[in-house]
Amino acid sequence: MLLRMHQISKSYGPVTANDQVSIELHKGEILAIVGENGAGKSTLMKILYGLEQPDSGTICLNDRQVVFHRPSDAMAQGIGMVQQHFMLFGSMTVAENVVYRKETRKGLFMDHRRNQALVRELSQRYHLPVDPQAVVDDCPVGLQQRIEILKILYQDAHIIIFDEPSAVLTPLEVEDLLKTMDQLSRLGKSIILITHKLHEVMAVAHRVVVMRDGRVISASDTSETSLEKMSYEMVGRQIPTRRMTPPAVGNPLLEVAGLSLKGEPGTITLHDIHLQLRQGEIVGIAGVSGNGQSELIRCLAGLQAYDAGQVMLNGTDVTRASAGTIREAGLAHIPEDRYAWGSAPAATLAENALVGAEGRPPFSRRGILNLRQVNAHAAHLIQGYGVKAASLFQQMASLSGGNAQKLIAAREIARKTPVLIACEPTRGIDIGAMEYIHGQLIEKRDQGDGVLLVSSELSEIMDLCDRIYVMFEGRLNGEFIRGEVDEKTLGLYMLGGNRHAPQTALG
Amino acid sequence: MNLSPEYLAVLANSTIRMTTPILLVTLAAALCTRVKLFNIALEGAMIAGAFFSIVANYYTGSVWLSVAAGAVSGMAVCGLVGFCVVHLKASAVVAGLAANTLMTAATTYLLSIIFNTKGVFTHPSLVSLPKITLPGVSRIPFIGTLFSGLTPLDYLAFGLAGLLYVFLYKTVPGFRLRAVGINPEAARSLGTPVERWQLLTITFSGLLCGLGGCLLSMGTVTLFIQNITSGRGYIALAANTLGQSHPLGVLLSCGFFGFSQAVGNALQNTALKTQMTFSIPYAATIIALIAFHLYTQHKKKKAKEALLH
Repeated sequence: MLLRMHQISKSYGPVTANDQVSIELHKGEILAIVGENGAGKSTLMKILYGLEQPDSGTICLNDRQVVFHRPSDAMAQGIGMVQQHFMLFGSMTVAENVVYRKETRKGLFMDHRRNQALVRELSQRYHLPVDPQAVVDDCPVGLQQRIEILKILYQDAHIIIFDEPSAVLTPLEVEDLLKTMDQLSRLGKSIILITHKLHEVMAVAHRVVVMRDGRVISASDTSETSLEKMSYEMVGRQIPTRRMTPPAVGNPLLEVAGLSLKGEPGTITLHDIHLQLRQGEIVGIAGVSGNGQSELIRCLAGLQAYDAGQVMLNGTDVTRASAGTIREAGLAHIPEDRYAWGSAPAATLAENALVGAEGRPPFSRRGILNLRQVNAHAAHLIQGYGVKAASLFQQMASLSGGNAQKLIAAREIARKTPVLIACEPTRGIDIGAMEYIHGQLIEKRDQGDGVLLVSSELSEIMDLCDRIYVMFEGRLNGEFIRGEVDEKTLGLYMLGGNRHAPQTALG
Repeated sequence: MNLSPEYLAVLANSTIRMTTPILLVTLAAALCTRVKLFNIALEGAMIAGAFFSIVANYYTGSVWLSVAAGAVSGMAVCGLVGFCVVHLKASAVVAGLAANTLMTAATTYLLSIIFNTKGVFTHPSLVSLPKITLPGVSRIPFIGTLFSGLTPLDYLAFGLAGLLYVFLYKTVPGFRLRAVGINPEAARSLGTPVERWQLLTITFSGLLCGLGGCLLSMGTVTLFIQNITSGRGYIALAANTLGQSHPLGVLLSCGFFGFSQAVGNALQNTALKTQMTFSIPYAATIIALIAFHLYTQHKKKKAKEALLH
């Protein structure tokens, strides 16, 4: 047995994050740990990596008990972690990043040539091509992840933890990553894969551990389990398969014609965007993050001035109107970043449920807030959307991501506007909350409103959207009707596949 | 005005002497920026250096003890601010401004307590920094004037700019120091004691400020005047921005400020009002910052146009 974590328990105050969790890892094995957010998988890995200390339980490496007080202890024992947020020095070169803290030197001086040669050698040995002299900031995300992996290999790690590694990658980069993991395991490295994407588990893992509420629910060989069984174990109940009625499409609600935006250097330029959203439909904008979706939505919401184009909202010309005017004209917006734009983390839940409506009766009259109405409204939203909260007056920041997102969605949907823009409404939240928000979006559509859904999660787009635009490098690259397109085609369009060959992670 | 070569040599010499105090402090600012600390306490550390080197000077009569006292007092100020900011997580602006206000007031107060005087203190027994005479050079016209009256600290300041460049960009510890500033989280995740690096760096920056202060009170003149730094610690922040926290870039931007100060001083002997000549370095700061901003904007715009074509 290479690694055994035995009966690990860890509590944060009243919350039990890990309850008698045991896992085992063999040499050359890929072990997937799946579970919803808050299931305790991150805590378990933090304990393994020395970022947290367990309240009880033991860790054995090669049948010898070890204690990790800090990550460097774990690293010294050959455990490395590819973090979700890369830990790279952006303005330095690939080689400098890889050798950091284990530099070859000539006296006090860096031996750049030797360092580069070492990195080149390492990258060849593990079939992870990189240019040691490239500056990290110029590398695409997939390549940055490869640098993280090389960093860990350079430290001679034999156990590699991947924490939600595919969250930031394009579909093609994900494929590359899965191949890399497979290769590494063949070369004798042992891998722990933390994820909630079950098809990745099925594709690459040898064994899978399902966690829920801090406990291990099951541990089995991947060959002996199935997607359905795993998702049932993760959620603890059957997820109903959703059946959508055909859309009852009405008049156009949002019409965008010829919208163009010249971006700052290093940002996306929007080219001649045309799109239409009608009553009673959910229209999706699919695409890999960073292809101009954020910019487009900011233009539509009045948060970004654009250079050309016309926008009609519910019969009103809102071209270049302010955000406030556009909201008044009938737009609700669930922004992509729930803390930067969607809410005020330091304000209370009641305040966050109110914001945007504070100037109108019944919430205020002549500039004086009617707190009874405000609180009643907040309580209504919190109850109606099943937001798990202790009090109306706790800070927004104290909610979990999923619950914060539910409250933001509740606030925006409760405005009952004809048009709702939802950007990545379920990013990073658990299946339960996701199901709920999806249900609300569909209900809004069935009431005859229009929903514009921006998502980089292809399955979300495929499940919900009546019509799908694909966005690539600032252009709408294609338009499809639900049921007339498969995931593979969309994936190809997302990479600009109809115009030129898909780019690999190396660029 | 007489623009003879001799006059230009005097002006250049004055530029060098005006540059070095700012250069020392700006190098301090650059180092702090490199570990992602905004050190606004440079002014306070500098004034402490200027004052305590005079105190040590008066009591010991030793030049090198005075320099050491200046350096140590600068380190104490920055070290204390660094401790508050790095370990107690105080706001760098608040802690730094507090240190500056405190040191300006404390030196004024101590001036009256120790020397029983207000405003200015000077004494015949005070020794100044030795002037280095380069053998043979002093007799060469122009060059001789250019290098006349420079102290070891002047040479040290320019030497340090080069040394710090080599340290930051060629050595392993310099590489790790820069890494701390580029991404402290990443450095920490790889086991680098980020706080220790930051505290060490800010304390060392205090040493440079102390030397800068010492140069003010024991260089060209040997005296302490209330508020002797007259905002050089703040000008250093501007010079650091212009020099992009690069030791050699900082050398250039400080040279510019030294030059404008030298011009300001030179014009004092003309018909211009002193209020006007005094304001030249500060006006130059503002103009330089605006020009720098316009230039970067222009570069951004160029890049944007290039992107579209």
